[in-house]
Amino acid sequence: MSGSTTLLPIAEVAGEMYGESHPGVSILVSGMGSSAGIESVSTGSSDIGTSSRELKEAEYELGLADTPVAYDAIAVIVHPDNPVRELTTLEIRSIFAGVITNWSELGGPDLEIGLVNRDEASGTREAFSKIVMGDARFDLGAVILPGTGQVRAVVSDIPGAVGYISLGFVNDDVRAVAVDGIEPSEAAVVAGDYPIQRVLHFFTHGEVSESTVAYIEYVLSPAVQDSVVRDAGFIPITAKEVHGG
Amino acid sequence: MAEPLETKRAPEAGAARTLKMMSRATYIQEALLKNLFLTCAIAAVAGVALIFFFVGFRGWPVIEDPGLAAFLFGSEWSSTLGKFGIGPLVTGTLVVTIGALVFGAPLAIGTAIFLSEIATPTVRGIVRPAVELLAGVPSVVFGFFGLVIVRPFVAELTGSMGFGPLTASLILAVMIVPTIATLTEDALRSVPPGIREASYAMGATTWQTIYKVLVPAAKIGIFDAIILGMGRAIGETMAVVMVAGNAPQFFEGLGAPIATITSQIVIDMSYASGTHRTALFGLAIILFIISMGLVAIVRALSRLNAKRS
Amino acid sequence: MDKRWTNRIALGVLWLCGITTVTILGAVILYVFVRGVGQITPEFIFTKPHGVNAEGGIGPTIIATMYVTGLSMLIVTPIAVLAAVYLAEYAVQGKLVDAIRFAADTLASVPSIVMGLFGFALFVEVMGLGFSVLSGALALSFLMLPIVMRATEEAIRAVPKYIRWGSYGLGASKWQTVSRIVLPSALPRILTGIILAMGRAVGETAVVIFTMGQAVYLPISPLDSGRSMTVHLYMLAMEGINMDAAYGTALLLMVMVLFFNLSARWLAARNRRLQG
Repeated sequence: MSGSTTLLPIAEVAGEMYGESHPGVSILVSGMGSSAGIESVSTGSSDIGTSSRELKEAEYELGLADTPVAYDAIAVIVHPDNPVRELTTLEIRSIFAGVITNWSELGGPDLEIGLVNRDEASGTREAFSKIVMGDARFDLGAVILPGTGQVRAVVSDIPGAVGYISLGFVNDDVRAVAVDGIEPSEAAVVAGDYPIQRVLHFFTHGEVSESTVAYIEYVLSPAVQDSVVRDAGFIPITAKEVHGG
Repeated sequence: MAEPLETKRAPEAGAARTLKMMSRATYIQEALLKNLFLTCAIAAVAGVALIFFFVGFRGWPVIEDPGLAAFLFGSEWSSTLGKFGIGPLVTGTLVVTIGALVFGAPLAIGTAIFLSEIATPTVRGIVRPAVELLAGVPSVVFGFFGLVIVRPFVAELTGSMGFGPLTASLILAVMIVPTIATLTEDALRSVPPGIREASYAMGATTWQTIYKVLVPAAKIGIFDAIILGMGRAIGETMAVVMVAGNAPQFFEGLGAPIATITSQIVIDMSYASGTHRTALFGLAIILFIISMGLVAIVRALSRLNAKRS
Repeated sequence: MDKRWTNRIALGVLWLCGITTVTILGAVILYVFVRGVGQITPEFIFTKPHGVNAEGGIGPTIIATMYVTGLSMLIVTPIAVLAAVYLAEYAVQGKLVDAIRFAADTLASVPSIVMGLFGFALFVEVMGLGFSVLSGALALSFLMLPIVMRATEEAIRAVPKYIRWGSYGLGASKWQTVSRIVLPSALPRILTGIILAMGRAVGETAVVIFTMGQAVYLPISPLDSGRSMTVHLYMLAMEGINMDAAYGTALLLMVMVLFFNLSARWLAARNRRLQG
């Protein structure tokens, strides 16, 4: 299987666990990006293509079967003492583009905004950039940290800081703000209301081998969904049933 | 090894000239061995050539894309925009290196003078191993220490997030202390004791002897030490990446994030391809040339020193 | 100001420098120790990490670190020692020797990140060894070469001349003298150099991250990939989720490096006592 780097940790760890319980089956995972994953599954060089985006129009004609495996929602986090509880997507874009530089412009205290960004190899940054930033550029002056835990630690430590991490990694050290009036919660994500989210997919093509089906079923089972998927900061696709979506 | 009788006749003690007196077999064996050793010694030269060749080979195409001028004099490094100007990275490296020398060199030179002129043997027995062990601490450990201990402190001090030149300089300063201190101590110890005694005999205090006699006498050695420490600071990677903030922008203040040549390579290497990867190898060429240049300076200085004395 | 007072103040500052250096080392060691010691359990040392956030142990990374260090030591020792024999015993001062020394000095000061990219370009890609222990060991041996070479050369030069004269006087050839007289008496100092170089290799990150890969495998063949302790620590610390494991790894790494450094010092001290 090959494709999205965002899905790499899930696919890798699940593949390893699957290999341990099913001796003789080995699952080779490579992360090359969503487009490459979709291409490789449609040409048959991979059994499964993983993607962190929906299919483009041209790709509909490839006849791929779609299995959503997880939700990836991104929370915008601030220091717990920051009185700003809600931002619009546009405001978030202006903050990360370096146009809004002080919390007082957003109804907060007169405090400089400390931007915390991720490195360009990060799947979270890629998603955030696509969903929130659009054509706007990230402010070059932002601190770039190569890890989720780092971003969380720094934001929890500095009153004026703002960053973004996968919703699953939000804890009490930081506060996730509401975006466009929607509080980030699992329920809001599975209902499709929370604006900064995407669905992670496994794509297959044509006739699928038995072992591939078994592996996909394994990934969708609670053994993976409730442990690996959650540990990676994502929301299990199975949460949809729980929340009645 | 059965030796022919002839060798046993080698009369004059010591000199290689006796080779002539040996049997042909021994002579050939000796010559072969000598060439084997020479080949090994040349491995070092070959190593440098290989590094230069392969890093150069991968980085060379920067001349065409993005173009030498855009690479060397560009003021923006952004892979998303396809701009690979090293300006911000070079200034970043310059700023943290100067910072490291400002904090580190006095501490290191002070420690070296302390070790060679003041410390009693017992005290030296504690400080000297400490300096050497400091050199052995892995740079990720320093980076880690900087991240969790020094950064919050700098954040408090500068009212920023604490990532940036100040934190990076402080960590680098500690890392270059062993290099500078060891070499400075060597330089001070090579000053003949007679000079010290003459100074004390004229009624000079310890401090007067140190700064009017010893430091001037050892100044080339100390300068060498500082240059090599500088090389260490320029090339240090892992510790810097963890505390610099890694924003490829020009210097904006002691607490504002900054990127260096080395940190940018580590951050980008995992996903770079095409021109971007070429540009990273281009950065490596620059680092290589800088470090070779510093070594050349040190060698020229020591030659100068040898001529003078 | 009275020169005596100036003297006292200046000496005080110098004392302070010495104390600061020792304090910094102490602080680094103490901090890593206090935060990491609780993590060190047999399970942490021997089991492998599992899950997305690397819970569990760091066993494979310890093995990978020792593997790559040992292998690079095997590669570098013969070359470095023989090269030093040439420089110390055979070489005649000239352009060639100058070039060799300049090259060795340059190698010693090439930033490790450059060494890493070089290893990646040559061993991983061009020679097709892939991300492997062998690629890592070859790249590390470039880093260790000047250290071992210098230590060996100094060790050989420190062997008193009269021992050689004695050997030649008995009719030994140059190689006999070098191999049976000079090298054995220089051995403890050569070993010290090799151990120090190994300590350097254990603590190296930038070289191995680009040559050995980052996947947590237990490397068996030299062509297997592996993640060293330094790379593991770097990734844990940068990700920042599982900091407990990061402290534990940092402590074990420090202990390993200190072990190498202290045994080198012990060896050197013992040697001094025996000879002096």
